[in-house]
Amino acid sequence: MLRPAETVHPLGENKTWPEIRNTLRAWRKENIRCSDKTVELGEYALQHYSASLGNEKWAVYEQVCIAALDMCPAKMKLVNKCIQVLSEQFPSSLRVSMLEGLKFEYLKKWDAALEMYDGMIEYEPTFPAPYKRKVAIFKAQNKIVDAVNELNKYLGTFSCDHESWLELADIYTTQQNYTKALFCVEEVLLQYPHNHLYHQRYADILFTLGGKENLEMSCKYYSKAAELNPGNVRALFGLQLAATTLSGIGKLSSKAKSDHQSLAAWASDTIEDYYKSQKTSKSLICEVASTLDKLSLK
Amino acid sequence: AVVSTQSTGVLVGILMILHAGFGSAQHRAHLRVSEQPYEGLPVDILTQCVLGFVIACIGITKVAGDFKDISATNDMNRKTMDSITNVPAFYHFAHRGRAIHSVIY
Repeated sequence: MLRPAETVHPLGENKTWPEIRNTLRAWRKENIRCSDKTVELGEYALQHYSASLGNEKWAVYEQVCIAALDMCPAKMKLVNKCIQVLSEQFPSSLRVSMLEGLKFEYLKKWDAALEMYDGMIEYEPTFPAPYKRKVAIFKAQNKIVDAVNELNKYLGTFSCDHESWLELADIYTTQQNYTKALFCVEEVLLQYPHNHLYHQRYADILFTLGGKENLEMSCKYYSKAAELNPGNVRALFGLQLAATTLSGIGKLSSKAKSDHQSLAAWASDTIEDYYKSQKTSKSLICEVASTLDKLSLK
Repeated sequence: AVVSTQSTGVLVGILMILHAGFGSAQHRAHLRVSEQPYEGLPVDILTQCVLGFVIACIGITKVAGDFKDISATNDMNRKTMDSITNVPAFYHFAHRGRAIHSVIY
């Protein structure tokens, strides 16, 4: 398929069609919110490759619509066009009505949006999206207490939704309610025990709470994260800090103290090895090494 | 398209197996007509059948797409903390984008 000579290639680079499609797919799957790039790449794909997209076209329209809402009011025309195309293709679809609700939310017409979502909940109580949008409406208005209550009510019914548990953990962490955040991350860990990032998150919250037992637990979770992914440097740094702090806390037997110190030393060495393996400059490695020596919590 | 460069392998393999099947049916009919005992299929039909099977297997792996890593963690280790907190169902638009993208074009 020949591209016309005067088109501007997306994102300033020459991309082949499979690369464009794979990038869009990756952004959809990994929940990466780079709205300006999504709109540019997505608009280009829909304009020039709409036949090659086939049935994926509708997913791309949805993706571009949500990304364009991030860039409104500049891209309002694009949002309207996406919603129009999708509603022509899927006449009485709940997912397309969600997009219209998102537009109301952007325009700050909270009552209209809430009315729409309540109607959708009444029509189809098992569709989880409107419940979550109600929580998002409260979040956008900074009504955190209402958002938390609403989210807890939702999780009482739909308790397997790991995304919502993550969101609740996020809200609790920003409100510094760490014990409740721990519970939420535990629910997520139950479903995804192989994800090193969730172990690291759990350990981060434990470390923030502080205290001897929490620090010991956080050492264990940081170790698990580092075991699952040897490239998770944040887990290694956390391990080094936690072990150093533990070796300085209160009355410890000399064996426990030396254990913690050797753990901290192992973590420092692993961090240095990792930076060396990533071929960072020598000066940076020296800086890292000197920082590691000085790292400890007072 | 059904016949593309990737699926020719599978098609050729399947056609060879079908051809070997027709060949063996014709062989048995010929033996029945000429009243000879059936002592097994000729070597060329057998080799065509086996070859067709092998070619079809190789062709299928090309059509099926990329292999995934065996270890479940390899896929997850490539994720970063940046996107882990993004939950698309809870995105809201009360952010600076409203001010940054204020010129309509």
